[in-house]
Amino acid sequence: MMDLSAVAALAGVTKRLGGKPVLNRLDLAIRAGEVTALIGPNGAGKSTSVGLLTGRLTPDAGEAQLFGLDPRRPAARGRMGVMLQAAGLPDVMTVREIVALQSGYYVSPRPVAETLELAGLTDLAERRCGRLSGGQARRVQYALAICGQPDLLVLDEPTAAMDRGAARALWATVRDMADRGASVLLTSHDLAEADALADRVLLMDQGRIVADDTPAAIRARAAAAVIRCRTRLTPAWASVLPGVREAGMDGADLRIVVAEAAPVARLLLDADPALTGLRIADATLEDAIAHLLAAEERIAA
Amino acid sequence: MTALALPTGVWRRECLAEVKRSWRLPQFLVPTVLTPAAFYALFTLALNKSPSPAAAAMTLAGYGVFAATGPALFGFGAGVAMEREQGLIELKRVSPMPAGAYVAAKLAAAIFTTAMAVVLIDLLALVAGVRIPVANWAALTALHLFATLPFALIGFGLGMRLGGKAAVAAANALYLGSAVLGGLWIPPEMLPGWMRTAGELVPSFHLAQIARWIVGAPSVGSPGSHAAIVLGMTAAAGAWAWAGWRRSPA
Repeated sequence: MMDLSAVAALAGVTKRLGGKPVLNRLDLAIRAGEVTALIGPNGAGKSTSVGLLTGRLTPDAGEAQLFGLDPRRPAARGRMGVMLQAAGLPDVMTVREIVALQSGYYVSPRPVAETLELAGLTDLAERRCGRLSGGQARRVQYALAICGQPDLLVLDEPTAAMDRGAARALWATVRDMADRGASVLLTSHDLAEADALADRVLLMDQGRIVADDTPAAIRARAAAAVIRCRTRLTPAWASVLPGVREAGMDGADLRIVVAEAAPVARLLLDADPALTGLRIADATLEDAIAHLLAAEERIAA
Repeated sequence: MTALALPTGVWRRECLAEVKRSWRLPQFLVPTVLTPAAFYALFTLALNKSPSPAAAAMTLAGYGVFAATGPALFGFGAGVAMEREQGLIELKRVSPMPAGAYVAAKLAAAIFTTAMAVVLIDLLALVAGVRIPVANWAALTALHLFATLPFALIGFGLGMRLGGKAAVAAANALYLGSAVLGGLWIPPEMLPGWMRTAGELVPSFHLAQIARWIVGAPSVGSPGSHAAIVLGMTAAAGAWAWAGWRRSPA
């Protein structure tokens, strides 16, 4: 079903790239006025979804729409600004020239000076793109995305290759644009970024949406710690302890994924006084996804 | 949905920006502009101590076509392939810019470069004593500039299918091949029979024959049939290039 209230959507989209299935009958809708974060591990299908929504890729089956039109039509893209992950810039053009040229693609662009200011590029305006650092080039890409005052801003891994300060500055302008009514779709494999920006998180894995919720709710569902230790206790014994999600061997170490570390650690220490090498770490996004996936499979079964 | 229009002037601005970019790449511009003039000066003017104006006019016809193939094949073939690898085309494709404006801008830059090369050759021809009516000069120049188009579309098709290095190699092969087989350097009458036959398959041969007819040099076939063949080849190259654009993800 195509969600017509969405500013952009995929409906039942299947896409294969290089003979491998990337998306399988995916439904995804970006709602107006929301900041939506698409997160997931590499290869989950995030960039492919963005490629389909921005008209760069064509679905094998199903339908993509952007403001009610086929995204492959240039006019459909007139209200969208895109910051791509791997796009280059023409070396011999200056920052101001490329921003001015891109602004000219839109019906009511922001003044070039204002775009440069928002992207922190005022001092670099006359520099040729070939002489920019990686982080500066990312800021130019950001400027190209926002210069048309788009109703939908699509940011593919926006803060990759940016230092923390530049990333925070970018987050602030994205937040500001969202507050003024723009819809934002961003992809990231950084949960903190989604947390800082998004109203809604779509967790993606192997071409499917495995969770669709607020960042706080995702964090609560995914919140977990990983305990490692060297012990004579077995994974089978540990797996039945309260709050243990997963237990296994990692080399010579017992590895346990838990919701809350302290009570389980206490039980372990009580059961094996000879236990050594106890370490407790936050679960990675991969662990969280594995947990959410496992939960989903249990529901399905 | 409202206001899904495209702004006016996109095509013009894109063309100007692309011409400016070419101008700022002297390492590409200078050899592309100078090579055909240098070849013309060497083979027509210097090697024939005092060439007859008629001979100079006949070779002018072919070298002008040669001058168009360089910017077209390298600017489009190698240029598009490299821009694809650098993610420059991706940037354009997700923007509201229509695809046609990208092609038009690249074509404008190639014609701009061709024009400079053709002017140089024309000046050398004047020095060599070539005198033809102004209308014929105009027609010859128009033809030489038009010659960019079929080769640009062939280059575009290559650029959308090959990687940067392979596209440079393919552009080189076509650059030299179309010059030799098309009789742009050595008149086709002096080529072996099989090469003359193969020459019929490249647009440069037909373009050079039309150019010869314009300057009043001996030519084979009728200009009308050559023109029809060139237009057919141009349309086929255009369809091939468009298919490449459509199927390529970036």
